[in-house]
Amino acid sequence: MDAKLKETILNPIFKGNPITVLVLGICSSLAVTVTLKGALVMALSVIVVCGISSLILSLLRNTIPGRVRIIVQLVVVAMMVILVDQVLKSFEATYAIDKQLSVYIGLIITNCIVMGRIEAFALGNKPWPSFLDGVANGAGYGLILLIVAFFRELLGSGTLFGIDILNRFGYVPNNLVILPPFALILLGCIVWVQRSIQKDLQEK
Amino acid sequence: MEYLSLFTKSIFVDNMIFAYFLGMCSFLAVSKNVKTAAGLGVAVIFVLLVTLPVNYLLNTYVLAPDALIKGVDLSFLSFIVFIAVIAAIVQIVEMVVEKFSPELYSSLGIFLPLIAVNCAILGGSLFMQQKDFLNIGYSLGSGLGWFLAIVSLAAIREKMSYSNVPPALKGLGITFITVGLMGIAFMTFMGISL
Amino acid sequence: MNTNSNVYTIIYTTVIVVVVAALLAFVSQSLKTKQDANEKAETISQMLTSAQYGTKAELDKLGNEAKLDKYAEEIAEAFVINLEGERVSDLGIARDNIEVYSPKALKRQNYNIKGGANKTGEAQIPVFIFKNGRTVVPIYGAGLWGPIWGYISFNGGSATIGGAYFDHESETAGLGAKIKDDPSFQQEFVGEVADFSSANVFDIVKGGAPKDAEGKSVVDNKIDAISGATMTSQGLDAAIDTWLGAYAKYFQGVTPAKQHCGKHQHQGECEGEHEGCDGNCEHHNHMEE
Repeated sequence: MDAKLKETILNPIFKGNPITVLVLGICSSLAVTVTLKGALVMALSVIVVCGISSLILSLLRNTIPGRVRIIVQLVVVAMMVILVDQVLKSFEATYAIDKQLSVYIGLIITNCIVMGRIEAFALGNKPWPSFLDGVANGAGYGLILLIVAFFRELLGSGTLFGIDILNRFGYVPNNLVILPPFALILLGCIVWVQRSIQKDLQEK
Repeated sequence: MEYLSLFTKSIFVDNMIFAYFLGMCSFLAVSKNVKTAAGLGVAVIFVLLVTLPVNYLLNTYVLAPDALIKGVDLSFLSFIVFIAVIAAIVQIVEMVVEKFSPELYSSLGIFLPLIAVNCAILGGSLFMQQKDFLNIGYSLGSGLGWFLAIVSLAAIREKMSYSNVPPALKGLGITFITVGLMGIAFMTFMGISL
Repeated sequence: MNTNSNVYTIIYTTVIVVVVAALLAFVSQSLKTKQDANEKAETISQMLTSAQYGTKAELDKLGNEAKLDKYAEEIAEAFVINLEGERVSDLGIARDNIEVYSPKALKRQNYNIKGGANKTGEAQIPVFIFKNGRTVVPIYGAGLWGPIWGYISFNGGSATIGGAYFDHESETAGLGAKIKDDPSFQQEFVGEVADFSSANVFDIVKGGAPKDAEGKSVVDNKIDAISGATMTSQGLDAAIDTWLGAYAKYFQGVTPAKQHCGKHQHQGECEGEHEGCDGNCEHHNHMEE
């Protein structure tokens, strides 16, 4: 694999992380990080949606009229998400998975990471790198989501993936942690840590 | 009276940013100075004001079960229709801003098209669909609430640029924490019933 | 090709919209029967959960067909009543003709109960009576982000709650979603007594439900709200009040007779096999309240 592709994949995970550096997809990172399970479902769906919609729109990129590009992008993304939802809903085996996922459908469509990467990358690049960029951004987003969810579930409910960790030692769950503002404060701390390590990201 | 109370309520008690945490991305990214923030705020007010009634009419007369043709339920299209309406209106706003204020256009950058995926706007439409009401007071109020939030954050950030913040926390980090604290402060409105 | 010309833009947009709409309509129509079957089985397992035929997790291990079998086996009577509590029509309970109310049907009835612009006719609400004596009724309302609904069962036609199960479309995971995911929240309803004579049939209060000396919720019509999920709790409270209010005349008209109870009942004493048909001993003395 050549260096440029490698860069496309690795950059979004840490150095150009969509949440902590590009400031995309914040709303959903507040809503879904109360439990680790929710964060995991959301992370996986965003990886899939972001990758595939980047691929489709990169294939279409030379045909899309500039003035209606936002509508075209959103229609393609929304169609894909709804299609996946409808198909999962129809099979007995996947119905339970869909019940988990359907909660996030709206959040996936309006996740600015998907739109942001299409607008900033997929419309100007070939399909394969666009696909990788989408997947890598989804993964970078998922990483932050899981870190935040880890602390929020551990401190806010005393559990991890619903399994009791702290409560058995007499820990009283802290309700402040499950309120959305705390997720922002945690994100602030993650940015702090990241920029202490990576000094070139610091703002003057 | 009902309009007025819903209007006040949607600004303070049900603030899109501090109560529901919707539309955070552009809120955080475009709040470096008051002038740009106010520009984006006005754009959001406008888009909310126009899309909510349009989406309501579409929902009632086209998408709801039995609305268009008896026995046909088009509600599976509601997401895509709402999003398309929002995107169309955002596109119009984008063209207008580009034409009349190129300066604002370049400072908003990618975040102008991203209003289309601003969860505050889709959220507003979905709240309205779910609660089945059309109220201009609500659509104007939630836009104003968003405007108020972004302008006050921008004002704080302008002042904060003179403060002595640890270098790694400067900029984005401290902004996250500030918004968190503002959110906690706004939660005091929650108990108020109007 | 000039992709910025007006004609191109209009044609392109039209083609995209038509293709997408057609594709979605096709998929949605062709998969509809399968989706409805899944939804029906899900509804049935939720009702069985509230009637205490097992936990939701246990019932979910059964396949769709097995759920329908179990329902056909355990249901005694299912019928539709109006707001006056009068029986209007019967619902199918035979194995190959099971009729239940989907969340969409509940939504329609929700409009009819509340009246207003969306009312389509007289409210017709279902009652399901199971062979273990429990009467299951649905509730429906709005949470924070989307609809919430669920099923509450009453012991032998009395006002004592025997079980509850709630579901939602899009409440926040870990907060509002606890109405569905947290069995201990649903367990709080068990043993409480709905007050069908007041407009406030049941109350979900914020941290203020009366407790006894051991910290257990006393028997009344109040339980604690979910902390951090104010809006969902309020929505659930309103949904329960609206729907149980609609059933008030029906429940007031039914004396807590145990016509569906197989065993003989001994009020006051309760050991071993003298257990009532609901299996919940400590609540019998409240039945007459």
